[in-house]
Amino acid sequence: MEALFSWQRFWADVPLLLPYFLVTVKIVFWGIGVGLVLGIVLACLRLRHLAWLEPILHIYVSFMRGTPMLVQLLIIFYGLPLVLAAVGVQEAVRWDKMVFVYAAFALNETAFLSEIFRSAILAVPAGQLEAAYAVGLTRWQAYRRIVLPQAWRIALPGFGADFIALFHGTSLAFLVGVIDIMGRAQALGASTHHALEGYLFVALLFIVCSLGLRVGFNYLDRRLAYGR
Amino acid sequence: MAFHLDYFLASLVSGLAYLPRTLLLVSLPLALGLLGGLVLAAFRVYRVPVLGRLTALGVSIYQGVPIVVALVIYNLLFMSLFNDVAAFFGVATTVAEVDIIWVGIFALALQEVTLMEESFRGAFYSVPAGQREAALACGLTELQALRRIIVPQLVPVAVPMLMNHVVGNIKNSSVVIAIGVAEVLTGASIPAARTYSFLESYVAAGLIYWALATAAEQLIGQWEIRPEARQSSWFWQVCARVRRRRTVTVAQQEKRGQVHAELEAYQKIL
Repeated sequence: MEALFSWQRFWADVPLLLPYFLVTVKIVFWGIGVGLVLGIVLACLRLRHLAWLEPILHIYVSFMRGTPMLVQLLIIFYGLPLVLAAVGVQEAVRWDKMVFVYAAFALNETAFLSEIFRSAILAVPAGQLEAAYAVGLTRWQAYRRIVLPQAWRIALPGFGADFIALFHGTSLAFLVGVIDIMGRAQALGASTHHALEGYLFVALLFIVCSLGLRVGFNYLDRRLAYGR
Repeated sequence: MAFHLDYFLASLVSGLAYLPRTLLLVSLPLALGLLGGLVLAAFRVYRVPVLGRLTALGVSIYQGVPIVVALVIYNLLFMSLFNDVAAFFGVATTVAEVDIIWVGIFALALQEVTLMEESFRGAFYSVPAGQREAALACGLTELQALRRIIVPQLVPVAVPMLMNHVVGNIKNSSVVIAIGVAEVLTGASIPAARTYSFLESYVAAGLIYWALATAAEQLIGQWEIRPEARQSSWFWQVCARVRRRRTVTVAQQEKRGQVHAELEAYQKIL
């Protein structure tokens, strides 16, 4: 029997796997990008306690935070095309499947980031908003210029942790057949009967990137620690 | 689009049948995580020479590995090495006879240990240093101080954090389908193999996880209610009723009142 692990195969796998890291980066990009915008909107909406919207948003956030990412991915990956087709977007079934993977991660991030931003906005002293109103700013101006810049600073540590969690979560995408770096490692393993090298490289890459991200967020946190 | 309610219900029932497996996947890693996390956190907080450094290094590296990747690697190693290792130790079991759920439990437990270590480290720092110093001054050894003075004070800090871990672990437990462990998610999709109603199955699985996570959250949330405010909580009312029914009957209460009266009478005489 051949050795379970060889450095030769490890180095041979690296150039085959590395290009697929781009898929992972794309998922993170869309997840955070869309999630951030929708998350802040959702946080602001929930803070206004709209009588008819609040129960729906509460259930949405609770479901997204209380169910596994994998289950959400499966539901959205298989369900969203059908829902879109049912409401009249017939061509949704033929769209690139990646769109629904991005959507799954974005919808999940929306819920998590909305909670992070909601608590961050609540942590900004109420006097700030009152003072902003007192000098004649509109609600939109007050939020954009006074409250959100301060909330952003408070939300940063939570955002960093969430970012890294999303980065890790992308590795679930291969379970619905996405060929990201993990899916590629699995395919390589299936064709060469030596999967360990590929998986190990993926693990190392994730370790290096997570440590880098964590160091980066810590640096940002320290740099922005003014006034306290 | 057609959402078949009967397929959905079939999936729900089938998924619920696998609930014990998921509960095993949640509870065992949690217990191991509590134990391992506490020990590792103590290594780091007390700066145990080599072990403390090793823990710090190991935990920060291991936290960089996504659970799925770790799971797949452990599964691969388990599959290719188990027979040789078993033969080496003279165990007659082969890899086919071992339930693969143990690989999942192992991976989840290791992940949980690293997460718990972080939480417990924070909890350790919340106990004032004077507590340990006072315990040592009273003549307790370092281990006695840890067991009798410091760990009991960790509990109130650790219970709220436990909630995050329980919910996180319930959600994490579903990734074991990557290596083919049967649990709620797989159970719910069994009817779908026949009917192709995968969406109904996944929604059913989602609802089970959601109910489980919410129940866990509610239950542990009850512990955070201050004792004087527990009157208004249904959970504590039920607890109190059960306790009352179990321990004190009316006859006992009367007897107790009698004894109390006698005691008071004695006290008056004295």
